[in-house]
Order: sequence, then structure tokens, then C-alpha cells
Amino acid sequence: MATERTRPHVGSHLFLMLLLAAFLFPVAWALLSAFKPADDIVRSPLTFDITQFTFDNYTAMFQDVPIGQGFANTAIVLLFKGAATMFLAPLAAFAFAKYQWIGKNLVFGAVLITLMLPTIVLIIPLLLEMKELGWVNTYQALILPGAVDAFAIFWMRQVISAVPDELLDAARVDGCGEFALFWRVVVPVIRPGLAGLGVLTVMNIYNDFVWPVVAASSERMATLQVVLSTLAQNITGNRIGADYATVTGELLAASSVALVPLLVLFILLQRHFINGILAGSVKG
Amino acid sequence: MTATTAPATRRAPRAGRGPRMRRRLAPYVFVLPFVAVFAAFSVYPLFFTARLSFTDWRGTGAATWVGWDNYAYLLTNPAFWASLGNSAVLWLLIVPVQIVLGVLVAVLLNNAKLRLRGLYRVAFIVPFVTPLVAVAQIWVVLFDQRYGAVNAFLGLFGLPDTGWLTTSTWAKPTLALLFLWKTTGFIVIILLSGLQSINASIYEAAELDGASRARQLWSITVPLLRRTIGFAVVLQTLAVFQMFAEPFVVTQGGPYNSTTTAGYHLYNHITRADLGTGAANSFLLVVLVMALSLLFVRLLRAKD
Repeated sequence: MATERTRPHVGSHLFLMLLLAAFLFPVAWALLSAFKPADDIVRSPLTFDITQFTFDNYTAMFQDVPIGQGFANTAIVLLFKGAATMFLAPLAAFAFAKYQWIGKNLVFGAVLITLMLPTIVLIIPLLLEMKELGWVNTYQALILPGAVDAFAIFWMRQVISAVPDELLDAARVDGCGEFALFWRVVVPVIRPGLAGLGVLTVMNIYNDFVWPVVAASSERMATLQVVLSTLAQNITGNRIGADYATVTGELLAASSVALVPLLVLFILLQRHFINGILAGSVKG
Repeated sequence: MTATTAPATRRAPRAGRGPRMRRRLAPYVFVLPFVAVFAAFSVYPLFFTARLSFTDWRGTGAATWVGWDNYAYLLTNPAFWASLGNSAVLWLLIVPVQIVLGVLVAVLLNNAKLRLRGLYRVAFIVPFVTPLVAVAQIWVVLFDQRYGAVNAFLGLFGLPDTGWLTTSTWAKPTLALLFLWKTTGFIVIILLSGLQSINASIYEAAELDGASRARQLWSITVPLLRRTIGFAVVLQTLAVFQMFAEPFVVTQGGPYNSTTTAGYHLYNHITRADLGTGAANSFLLVVLVMALSLLFVRLLRAKD
């Protein structure tokens, strides 16, 4: 519970306000500056004249940067990888939480170990595996590794353990099959946990960068984040002799376009986000 | 407990032995997709790295077994130690600041009488949900020496232009600032959840005894929050030593390798196709990170 002691001091407000400004400044500055004429962004980075606002940076950026392709690739990965995690992780977690089976402890131990390992350990061998399979620069490479996230299993196992056994037994007495038990009894009960897992999964996939840049960095396969990371090269490549102002204008426009979807989602679903982030913190 | 041994007569009679058998087989079917993906893309690569770290392999041709050579090479290689040193400096610039700031903000936000509480909580989390690559690009623009908003702002106070990303003195602090900005809200949320498990009556008692707010913070909140703080420190230690995307986008490890973090150094082996050394490097990093985590857990537990 939150403590209800004395009203906070004026100093506390001042401190929090300053911090608030610092936290919102970079994003707000980028979103607003993207509408300024490119020359003004570099000439007077601190002033904003609404009457001068223009979409020029956006139109130039959409011409120079394959950002639409980036969005499309990210959307495809989100759809398949997200669906796989959201369906297969709770299903496997159900088996861990509510059944006895041979090898259960061994597999779960392996899950715990992977949770503690830094992700970078797997980058080299995974990349080689992709080469062997001929999957470099394919959707499979972006979707399959990590498609059923070990952390999601760990978290969903905890959530499903809290579902009372009596509920499951009662449903069995009513002639409910094992999969129907999962689909019709467990899933509806754990809906809040699933919502948290959902937003966390979307956030992780949307923002994922290290694996996509290693495994699928070709122009055709680049996800949104990979497109963003090579932005400057793309802009100067398409406009020989482009000056710093032009590049900066387009860069801010592209960053804004990438920021906004997740910000909107976050503002709409903040409670689920915070739940998801909290649970996700055990991932490490 | 599961009831696999429950008498069959208690169950739906119409299906006879069927449901029991299905119940026994169901978990195998349920975990199969996960186990397949997990084995193929987590367990197998892990064993593969372990073997790879004992070979010399450039990505093509046959790998030659070199025993512990890769490890010996790394442990005597100044560049490897320099990358660890860079990460250690970043850790010092980030983690203590973040914990102090995080505790202060969490304590303030935990007060139900604070106005605009909801707004603060949302605003502090905004950086955490923004895509790192987009933010890193914005950082490059903001901290540009000649045209950046940061130098323009400091110029208002007559301060000279600083090469935030182009001098080895300032590149690390600027990168640390990006990391702090991006993840402090996340630490605040973790600490808030820890604070909410502290019983409010402890503070009431302290107030009756005339303890000041600062005294309460230091003598009650911090000790009771020690486990949560330890957890946050471990998480951030893992994150700082693995830091890769930030230097990749903002500084490419420079200037003069001053931002070549442990994670970035690992990536350098991949770009040079020196995969055996890279694999050994990743194992050394795992050992180091695990040892550090254990150390922090021990340190914070020993005081109990």
C-alpha cells in the first residue's frame, strides 16, 4: 500500500518536475523538431515556431528510406513470433504447472539456466546455424529463434500454478478434454497475465535489434529497427552531397515515425505495460 | 498435487480408459513445440559455442582444435581487458547514480498524497518503452558538437561547445546518460513494488519517536528495501556488461575504442570472422557476469 504521510514538500515537486522535463525532453524535442524546416533544426535547435512547421522532412524521408519495408517486416515478425509466444508459451507452461511427466524437472532446469545466460552468448552459434540452414536474411531467422521465449514459460508457469486444481478437476468431471481444459478453463482465468505478456512481447519484438541486425540485415529483410540503425548511410547514399541539416531532418522524422506506435500503445495500455515490465524484470 | 492415481470410477464414465490415457499424454503434446524450438535454438547453440571456443575457426573450412589457446589469448590481450575496463567505468557511472535516483523517486511516488502521481509514473516509463535505436539516433543529433541542442543550451550560459561523442573523455558519460535516461524508470517501478510491501505502521511508529524524514529514509526504507535494491543492481550489472546496441548506433565503439564495451568487443570478433575467439570471449563474459551477480547477492545478504 502507498503510505499516506505528510503532503510532499515543495522541493520534492521541484525535483520531480525537473526529472520529468529531463525524461520527456529528448522524445518531445525530436517529435517537434521533425516538423521544423531542416535548416532551422541545426541553426536554432532550441526554438520552435509553429507557423513554420512543415512535413518536408517526412516526405523526403519516405522517399529516401525504406521505412515502409521496415514496418512491413516488423509487422510480419510481430504477427508470427508474437502469436507463437502467446499461444505456445502458456500451453507449455500449463504442462509444467499442472501435469507430471518424465523429464519435466530436467527441461525446467534448462529453462532456468537459459534465463540467466546473457543473450549474446548464443549470437555466434545461432548465426552459424542460420548459415547452415540457409536461413540468413529470411523471415524464419527472425521468427523462429526465441519464438517460444523461455521467460514467457517461466512467468506463465507461475501464473497458471495459481489456478485452483479443483477448477480443473470439476471441468474434467464434466467431460472436458485436456486441450479444452487449457483453452476454455485456464486461458479465461489467466487473462490479466496474458495481457501483461502480450504487451511485453510486442514491446520486445518491436524493439529487438541485436539479433535482427546480425541475422537479417539485407535491405529486403531489414526490420524497422535495423532500417533506423542504417538511416544516415541510406540518406547520404540517396542524396549525394546531402548536408547535415537534411540528414538530421530525415533522421528525426524517421525516429518519430518509429516512436509513435509504441508510445500510443503504451498510453492506452499503461497498466498492462507496467505489470508486464515488472514481471519481465526477472528475465535479466 | 495432480491426481493421476485417482480412481477411474470418479471420472466421466462414458469415455472409459480414454480420458486417463489422454491425460497422461497431454503434457508431452503441450510442451513439444516449445521443446523443439528450445532444443534447436537455445540448447544446441549453447553446446556448439562451448565446443567452438576451443577451436580456431574463421567461418569456412575445417576448425582446428586449439585447446585453451583462445582463452589464454584473450586473458593476455590488452583489448579484451580494455573492453572490460570500459564496461566497468560505465557501470560506475550508471549503477550508483541510478540506484540513488531510483530510491528517491520511488519513495516520493509512493506517497499517496503526491499530486500528479500518475503522470510522473507514466512519464518516467516512457523512455523504457521507446525503441533504443530511435532514441540512440536522437542522442547523436542532440549531442552533436556543432549543431546539437545540448551545446546550444549550454551556450546560453556561456559554456564552450563540448565534443560529447567525439572525445574519449566525454563519450562514456554521454553513453551512460543515454542508458540512465532509458532505464531509470524501469528501476523506479521495481523499487516501487518493493516499497509497497513495507508496512506503513513502521513509519507511524518512527514518526511518534520523532525521526525525521531523512532519518526514516536511511534507517527504515533503505534497509527494508535491500533485497529489491540488490535485485536491481544484479539486473543492471547484467545489462551494462552486455551493452551493445548503444555503442553500436551512437559511437561505433569509438572514439579511440573508449566506448568498446564488453558486449561490443564480442561483436568485433564476429565482424572479423574470428569465431573461436568470439565464442571463448562470450563464455568469459558469462563467467564474469555470473560472478559479479553472485558477489552482489552475497554482499547484500551478508548484512542481514
